Amino acid sequence: MKITLINGNPGNSNSSFQGYIKRLENELAQVGIESTCFNLRDKAIVPCTGCWGCWVKTPGECKFDDITKLIRKEVIRSDWVLFLSPVIMGFTSALLKKVQDKFIPLVHPYIELVNNECHHEKRYEQYPKIGLIYAPDEQTDHEDLDIIHNIYRRFALNFKTEFKIFRSIEEPLETLTHEIVAN
Amino acid sequence: MKLLLINGSPRGKSSNTKILLDQFKEGFSKAENRFGVDEMYLVKEKDRLSAGRLLLKYDAVILAFPLYTDSMPGIVKEFIETIDPERLLNHKFKLGFIVQSGFPESHHSSYIERYLIKLTDRLGAEYLGTIIKGGVEGIKIQPKWMTKYLASFHELGKQLALTWEFDEEIIFKLKNPVYLKGMKLTTYKLLMKTGLSNFYWDKQLKENNAYNNRFNKPYLQS
Repeated sequence: MKITLINGNPGNSNSSFQGYIKRLENELAQVGIESTCFNLRDKAIVPCTGCWGCWVKTPGECKFDDITKLIRKEVIRSDWVLFLSPVIMGFTSALLKKVQDKFIPLVHPYIELVNNECHHEKRYEQYPKIGLIYAPDEQTDHEDLDIIHNIYRRFALNFKTEFKIFRSIEEPLETLTHEIVAN
Repeated sequence: MKLLLINGSPRGKSSNTKILLDQFKEGFSKAENRFGVDEMYLVKEKDRLSAGRLLLKYDAVILAFPLYTDSMPGIVKEFIETIDPERLLNHKFKLGFIVQSGFPESHHSSYIERYLIKLTDRLGAEYLGTIIKGGVEGIKIQPKWMTKYLASFHELGKQLALTWEFDEEIIFKLKNPVYLKGMKLTTYKLLMKTGLSNFYWDKQLKENNAYNNRFNKPYLQS
């Protein structure tokens, strides 16, 4: 099993996320799961410009050669993608969202009906399952979490996969690794 | 009274969002009550990182963007993160949104609408509403009968100038279809079966000599 971790924490490197990810990587390694982590902080990311070049000029590839190219390559070869982010103004970080926007080369522009809704067709045979590990801030309430949960479920639906894990960084790591192994 | 229109499209001045906002702005400017209106674009990094402070200067702000992977584009979230709610504590203003999508059904945008309502609350603003319009991606090549709804954006702008409210009835109509059903669903099924629904993309793929590569899987090929 292979997992890609995408750390969208824009804060300084000594924050709780860094420690959490280290422990998570160790925990995963112990149960024989290979993981690759991308720390987005300080990485140059060209935001999606909506040019649709990845759909109509160079199908499947973005014209900007930034870190997201490596991320996409890892993601599509993984069984799981775990996003990690603090909750900022009621949602996951802009840093992470800029990378999620650049997942669109991984799907096809053609539209199909799924549950009688329009969605993009697959480009690849298989897509990794998705999880989100969040760190709530002082303002985060149940409604925020419900909104985030639902938007990530929709994201997974358009990404031809399922949103399987939604956990706070404050929950025990074992719960998370059990969930990964069980799913 | 002063209005700020924020264009959150990554395509900036060549965006479909601009086409909708232009209509809105024209309606607003031509109404009998003449209020000031400014507009700004989030596509420039410098602008989006300083835009949060501008909110203090306006009585109403409309944030417009295309739906990107089921929520706001990353650059719009970046702008939102620059806003300091504490600085807005003593500022009374109204906040409204325009969310447009390529998908024809407005249901896709209903999830981010919930976020926008919560955001308005978080900023201590009064919620004007969210204007949701699906099926906008092809707007530049669509025949006139398909873009008649632009008049509704004009009217919404005019109504805002007259009442400082969004016209609920127009918003309700623009939201249609929320889901595909009945004849619309049958038509879509037929379009997909015949491959006609791919026309918009196939045309561009062919113009770029990329049609034969349309199913490329570049990350599994090396």
